[in-house]
Amino acid sequence: MPFLNNIESYSSLSIVGLEKNTGKTECLNYVLSRLRGSHKQIAVTSIGIDGESRDQVTHTHKPEIELSEGMVFVTSELHYQKRNLLSEVLDVSRQSTSLGRLVTAKVLSKGKVLLSGPASNHAIKELLADLRNKGVDLSIVDGALSRKSLGSPAVTEAMILATGAALSVSISQLVFKTQYVYDLIQLPEINSKLKTKLSEVGSGIWSVDAEENIKDIGISSVLLIDKEKDKLFKYGHRFFVSGAVTDKFLGFLKIQKQIAEIQLIVRDFTSIFASPETYYAFVKRGGSIRVLNHTNLLAITINPVSPDGYTLNSDELKEALERKLDIPVYDIKRI
Amino acid sequence: MLFREAILNTSGLQFLVENLDLKSSLGRRFLLNSKMMYEEFEIAAELNLVNQFVQLLAFEPNAEILSKIQHKLSQLRDIRGTVNNLQANLVLDDVELFEIKVFALLTQEIKVLQKELKNVVLEIPDLQPLIRILDPQNTKIPSFYIYDNYSEELANVRKALKITKAKDGVSDKEVEVCFDKVQKIEALVREDLCAKIKMFGNNLAQSLNQLAHLDLLIAKAAQVLNLNLNQAEISEKNTNYKGMFNPMIKNELENKDRKYQAIDIELEKSVCLITGANMAGKTVVLKTLALCQYLFQFGFFVPADSAQIRIVDKISTSIGDEQSELNGLSSFASEMLKVSEMVEDAQKYENVLILIDELARTTNPVEGLAIVNAVADIFHQNKICSVITTHYSGLNPYFRKLRVVGLDKELGDNLITQKNINSYMDYSLVEDYNGEVPHEALRIASLLGINKEIVEKAQNQLNGKLVINKC
Repeated sequence: MPFLNNIESYSSLSIVGLEKNTGKTECLNYVLSRLRGSHKQIAVTSIGIDGESRDQVTHTHKPEIELSEGMVFVTSELHYQKRNLLSEVLDVSRQSTSLGRLVTAKVLSKGKVLLSGPASNHAIKELLADLRNKGVDLSIVDGALSRKSLGSPAVTEAMILATGAALSVSISQLVFKTQYVYDLIQLPEINSKLKTKLSEVGSGIWSVDAEENIKDIGISSVLLIDKEKDKLFKYGHRFFVSGAVTDKFLGFLKIQKQIAEIQLIVRDFTSIFASPETYYAFVKRGGSIRVLNHTNLLAITINPVSPDGYTLNSDELKEALERKLDIPVYDIKRI
Repeated sequence: MLFREAILNTSGLQFLVENLDLKSSLGRRFLLNSKMMYEEFEIAAELNLVNQFVQLLAFEPNAEILSKIQHKLSQLRDIRGTVNNLQANLVLDDVELFEIKVFALLTQEIKVLQKELKNVVLEIPDLQPLIRILDPQNTKIPSFYIYDNYSEELANVRKALKITKAKDGVSDKEVEVCFDKVQKIEALVREDLCAKIKMFGNNLAQSLNQLAHLDLLIAKAAQVLNLNLNQAEISEKNTNYKGMFNPMIKNELENKDRKYQAIDIELEKSVCLITGANMAGKTVVLKTLALCQYLFQFGFFVPADSAQIRIVDKISTSIGDEQSELNGLSSFASEMLKVSEMVEDAQKYENVLILIDELARTTNPVEGLAIVNAVADIFHQNKICSVITTHYSGLNPYFRKLRVVGLDKELGDNLITQKNINSYMDYSLVEDYNGEVPHEALRIASLLGINKEIVEKAQNQLNGKLVINKC
């Protein structure tokens, strides 16, 4: 798998599944197995606990991660107690998650562990910084693309996307849905000066004028747009939306006559909750979207087996994805 | 009374706590849970400790060591829960043992730093023997697991597990059996370890307490230098302040480039009535008196150039910030209930400090005056150290009275505003032997530039009254 050479040049990497059972855990285990010989200090953690608990309910494969000697991992106290390896406690967080405080530990003898981690963006960023302080070269985050999770995997520098039959058993549908996420991940980042300005801005919709001054339009949330539509274009056609961009909001922008001038800035690709149809219509009519935090997509992995047993043709799927997307695609079962 | 209760109704205290540079949550909790002191020796001991740290901070090399100690204190975790578990004979998990080890290492580092100060101020228990147990490899690195060093058997089964895992074609079952064995022995070793370190439970609890106290003392001393506080002497008789100021209000004024006028005041074991114009700072005097008394009895230096303070058993205040609407009482009713409580206290204890702002101000002046005289009389008879501010004339002549000097400076054509009033007001207190209170309300109202019609009409009313009286 050639993308592994690239991995070592980043300091943080997230592995994100488009759906449960798209092979995210296998992908993570694979990446870890390939990093075993590396001289770099590796750390592993997760965003929230959403994935694990769900899998325990549906009794599908339990996503334990296989760690080898010398690796650092971060998990909650509860999962730390259930670990199946010998490790040394390095730190305990002051803040608590729903599963207890977060324990940072180093593996002394290889084995398996359940991962859980901080739930908010801010906490993940802090944890990544803390791990860097502790001498970690590469932090790998088991990320979820879930609306339930506040934390976004886009805080990492690089990303691997896991997709597969669990998302759809029709190859064309699967490619369409995957391409949509792919396109969102590729959204370009704004310049760093504007980025600094916008990172301090609070919730709501803000206008950015030609001189890159930020003005409060007075709309506190995209959800309230219906009653405040008239205010929106008060200062111009460039907006920063600090929260989620809904289908309705993008649908409203899409039909405006100045659409070609409209530019939307969002925190990262996970902020866009619009349907692919609305998004593509918005872009086709000339609207554009920029992000505050761009992440580098390194590869896409596929799992052709769906949890209910249906299996897609791996080669066909790989080819279909590679034809559409300019990125290496690997079958997680075959690598 | 606990500090956390005192802080609720004393705004000046909140200000000081917010400005206190405590480094650990331990220190904060120690402060909030500290008890008000009523014994001379307790207060003297704490004030002497604060004084020692003030002296240390004033000397540069020592201040540097203290700042190093503070840095260590900021890394301190509150492990009381874990220590309780240990003392309750529970088996601790790896994370808890890790916490104890990190705490012990940190404590030892602080202990060493404190030694550099030459005179060891707070006795911190020696945790070296505990560290030797929890750090069998003597690395001094803050990390922990059940080390192989603890048991040869454990080392052997762990080795066996490693070999089993590495074997080709090993079944999950085999590994599981091996792993279970490791866990079983680990559990035994852990039990044994906890039994061994249980004897350090008291030392740990004591260290937690001493380090929290250390944090608080350094913070108190730093605040003394920051805010210019001074050590009060313990007085057997009168309470006496020279140059008393309210740090919160002083700070606010200084932020606006204005000066705070400190005042002198002496309280006898009797009632004292303070009169004076509006905006003359009577309420501030009461608030500051309450603040100083609390500070003193919680072992802080006080905001004054010098002070002799008598210890009291209770501080009772009615300074008009009670939320009377909430319990469905009128402001008059809730004030009267409060005052009634105070009078009962006055009859029960002899040693209370009672501070009442504008007693009975919300009712008619005839009955209001009667209430003031009645309450003051009770305090007078019972020799209760008490201060009541009032605007009423006709106070009993045998009460001691203090008057705020007030607006005596030449104003010229200047309008008084909230912004400049304090440059024209003389806030100092003088003994007043004449029963009349100053009639400056209209003057101040007009100087504030309020609607002229109000002032004129009120003035006419007063003149009219005079005419009638003359007739």
